[in-house]
Amino acid sequence: MLALTATTVVHPAGCGLDTLWTAAAHSRSGLQPNPLDWCTLDAWLGAVPGVDEVPLPEPLAAWDCRNHRLVWMALQDTVFVQAVREAVARHGAHRVGLVLGTSTSGIRSTEIAYAQRHASGCWPEGFDLRRSHTGDALARFTAEVLKVAGPMATLSTACSSSAKVFLTAQRWIEAGLIDAAIVGGADSLCLSTLHGFDSLQLLSPRLCRPFDATREGISIGEAAGFALLERGKGEVHFVAGGESSDAHHMSTPHPEGLGAAQAMRAALDAAGLTPSDIGYVNAHGTATPANDRSEAAALVSVFGERGVPVSSTKGITGHTLGACGIVEALITAEALRHQQLPPSANLLRPDPDLPLDLVTAARDTKLQYAMSNNFGFGGSNCTLILGRSN
Amino acid sequence: MSRLRFSLHAAGVLAPGLASLDALLDAARRGTPLTLSGDPLALPAPSALPPNERRRASRAVRLALACVEQAVADTPFDVSTLRSVFATDEGTGEVCQQMLETLATTRQVSPLVFPNSVHNAPSGYFSIAHRNRQPATVVSLGEDSFASGLLCALTEARATGEPVLLVAYDPALTTPLDELLPLREPLGTAWVLSATDTPVQGPVLGRGELIVAPAGDSPAAPWRPAWLPEAWTHHSSARALAALGLLAAPAGSALTLPLGGLHLTLTLRPAA
Repeated sequence: MLALTATTVVHPAGCGLDTLWTAAAHSRSGLQPNPLDWCTLDAWLGAVPGVDEVPLPEPLAAWDCRNHRLVWMALQDTVFVQAVREAVARHGAHRVGLVLGTSTSGIRSTEIAYAQRHASGCWPEGFDLRRSHTGDALARFTAEVLKVAGPMATLSTACSSSAKVFLTAQRWIEAGLIDAAIVGGADSLCLSTLHGFDSLQLLSPRLCRPFDATREGISIGEAAGFALLERGKGEVHFVAGGESSDAHHMSTPHPEGLGAAQAMRAALDAAGLTPSDIGYVNAHGTATPANDRSEAAALVSVFGERGVPVSSTKGITGHTLGACGIVEALITAEALRHQQLPPSANLLRPDPDLPLDLVTAARDTKLQYAMSNNFGFGGSNCTLILGRSN
Repeated sequence: MSRLRFSLHAAGVLAPGLASLDALLDAARRGTPLTLSGDPLALPAPSALPPNERRRASRAVRLALACVEQAVADTPFDVSTLRSVFATDEGTGEVCQQMLETLATTRQVSPLVFPNSVHNAPSGYFSIAHRNRQPATVVSLGEDSFASGLLCALTEARATGEPVLLVAYDPALTTPLDELLPLREPLGTAWVLSATDTPVQGPVLGRGELIVAPAGDSPAAPWRPAWLPEAWTHHSSARALAALGLLAAPAGSALTLPLGGLHLTLTLRPAA
């Protein structure tokens, strides 16, 4: 059992966990018609407000890219940074590990540089792929800002990336390698994912509507979020997680949700809990026809028809891809803290073919344990269980 | 300081001039620099994939799957039930280049290419090929990808009491991306590992220990043995080749790899 000692997040609805929770609880979406001047796709997106106006300060300027700007914005949270400083003081910088998730890291910088290389034959002066695009850039930049010196990993399993970080950190703590871990992740808007999902006809031309009868696909968002994990109980703690692979298809989930159900059962087993102990599931709920059908089948197989309150908060943040694991873990933690279930955003008419207990309006509840699901390309599934201290 | 003791049960190797673990051990024993033919490395089509998927399999997928199949051949390990950790730097090789080229020109991304551009495409194809529904994790930490992946695999083996498949690989990048990251040849290894605290049944090739300690002020000793080409210095998976070479090194040999502010010191000796 690991306490979430401190957290921070930036997301399309604003900065900080309070704004994220308020937006989720009141169904205030951070999505808007594509505002990017470098992408002409007809889609709704979740851009983090102000990301274009926050270049990194001079000592860190070599790391500048859209992804690191999101990280930098998240790490302006003085309460979180102070908690990390105190953890470093308590345990030593080498005893604080870093496990982060991303799918595309700072690839937007390489897209810009590649276009210039294509046009002129030369890479832009000073372009540094190692400090922007590659997977290690995210972990090294974050370690540099937070002054931690423990073991590090960047996990990249598409949309389960920043959920799986909790399990890796837990193993490192249990093995005695570290006493505390910073987990989280960041993913930023880029042509690769926007055009990639468009090519698969998974990008909704309108606002995404998870679990709705009229859902047409995802709205892509961007975010960065972090949690400090330490042994012991906090107000909210990470209890256990479960992982699995679909072994079915690279970009389509298993139609009956076999892998998703296996991840949920593995999480319950690892937590020593039964389905009836879970009071809320924050679904992966991407709003593609196939994902929501598959996930509903998995939820029914684990919890029974309408067996547990479920909502997707991707209508608020968009699908933040490699960052959705941490963003939705933090929303789930807030649900436990507030003893309130956030509604499934942007619902017009719940899909009658999905036998789910969809949360359609925020409601108060008594909540001891809650679950967060995230599934990704390659059939990578991860379920987290968070709990509230008595 | 922490210690992680482990058993190495099986290993596969695929790199120019190194077609198997035995070839790698011969090269390490000789100690003289590998002579490379310059021919592109032959990467077998992954026979375990359905024909449609086999045709589309990128060179990164072929490299990773070939290493796995070589490692588990003639062992009692059932590849459909192994947990896995894939460790890779850039991860997708020419697919990344294809995406960037398209985005710089027509922006008409192929629906076949995009799913292959994710870091976990090789691990996804691995699970499809072998009907493996176990967890698969993909670690990417630049030149330290192998170090980070080894730590993830050993701690997962310790936590679960199960053997873990570690696949450390770097597909080659094509021009012009290789101007930025000089990964010009594909290198791959696959390992089946278990933690000594939680032993598993099966043949044992080697016994190892990973010591995790603060780096202090001294840089890690150079990791590259003389038999590995200098051109592979920036490949994260060349460190995995050097690590397997410890099986043929004089007693007391160790490999030190940086990770964050730590040094990981690896020893690996043949099982008696």
